[in-house]
Amino acid sequence: MLTNKTALITGSNRGIGFSILENFAKQGCNIYAHSRRDSDEFKIRTKEIALKYGVKIDHISFDLRNSNDMREAIMSIIKSKTPVDILVNSAGIIHGGLFQMTPVSDIRDVFDINFFGMLEITQLLSRYMVRNKKGSIVNIASVAGIDLSAGNSAYGVSKAAVIAFSKTLSDELSKYGIRVNAIAPSLTNTDMAHTSEAKKERELMSMSTNGPFERMAGPNEIADLVSFLASDNSSFINGQVIRIDGGNKF
Amino acid sequence: MTNFEKYKKSFSDSFEVEESVVETLKYESIPAWDSVGHMVLVAALEATFDIMLEMDDIIDFSGFERGKEILEGYDVVF
Repeated sequence: MLTNKTALITGSNRGIGFSILENFAKQGCNIYAHSRRDSDEFKIRTKEIALKYGVKIDHISFDLRNSNDMREAIMSIIKSKTPVDILVNSAGIIHGGLFQMTPVSDIRDVFDINFFGMLEITQLLSRYMVRNKKGSIVNIASVAGIDLSAGNSAYGVSKAAVIAFSKTLSDELSKYGIRVNAIAPSLTNTDMAHTSEAKKERELMSMSTNGPFERMAGPNEIADLVSFLASDNSSFINGQVIRIDGGNKF
Repeated sequence: MTNFEKYKKSFSDSFEVEESVVETLKYESIPAWDSVGHMVLVAALEATFDIMLEMDDIIDFSGFERGKEILEGYDVVF
């Protein structure tokens, strides 16, 4: 589905982002693999994947809160003259807690990465994608951004912003042949899901009897949906938020 | 091709107009130069001159002449 395409995946060194990286590589996609920091371990893992699937994986490292480093990294991609067909905004942090017990500074920190960092890299890279008059942007949101239950004034609201942004951006970029969609996974079996921040969702998951799939999502299941939306197989899907939650209700 | 010729060609290609008219163009002076056309022009200029324009400059890029002044700030010599 993604043979000979090039994707930039943020937060690709772990969790859902890493599953997406593996999935894309398996399908013949060349990748700019973003992580916040350089890591020898990550480079070794991606070298193995690149060799296994015969694709090119280049690393770019910057903190999504650092505009200058981000700009430099995107400029290096542009100077390579390699068209970028796909952007997956997967980097994010989790945060849980009741609003009255959440410092506003914590909410700003969550938004800085989950929303503003995502927004800024999208603004820079989409200008490059516009030159090719085609492309696909997939933003990883969350069911927390739709259901917005208690404890979501930081994380859930930041993901609600991602969803709203995806819809408005799809309307703007469609004129240039670029599709923008978001996906809303439920709790996914990654390291992030086993943090104390995600504890409440895990407890709710264990109590759920409403859906036939009483478990966390597998990161590979999320990656499969992302690769579909990134590919030309979803060429008429634009401006959508696709929930992937096994039918579970919390 | 000189930088000035490349600059004119970027306008001509982006708005699908003759090069003979580009020097008079300003934002929204022709239907093709709306906000959508503006981003097409920005993309063309960035590709042609290997630069990345700052957001303030994209917003300030109000016409052919003003654009030249802006690009000179990115070491484009006309």
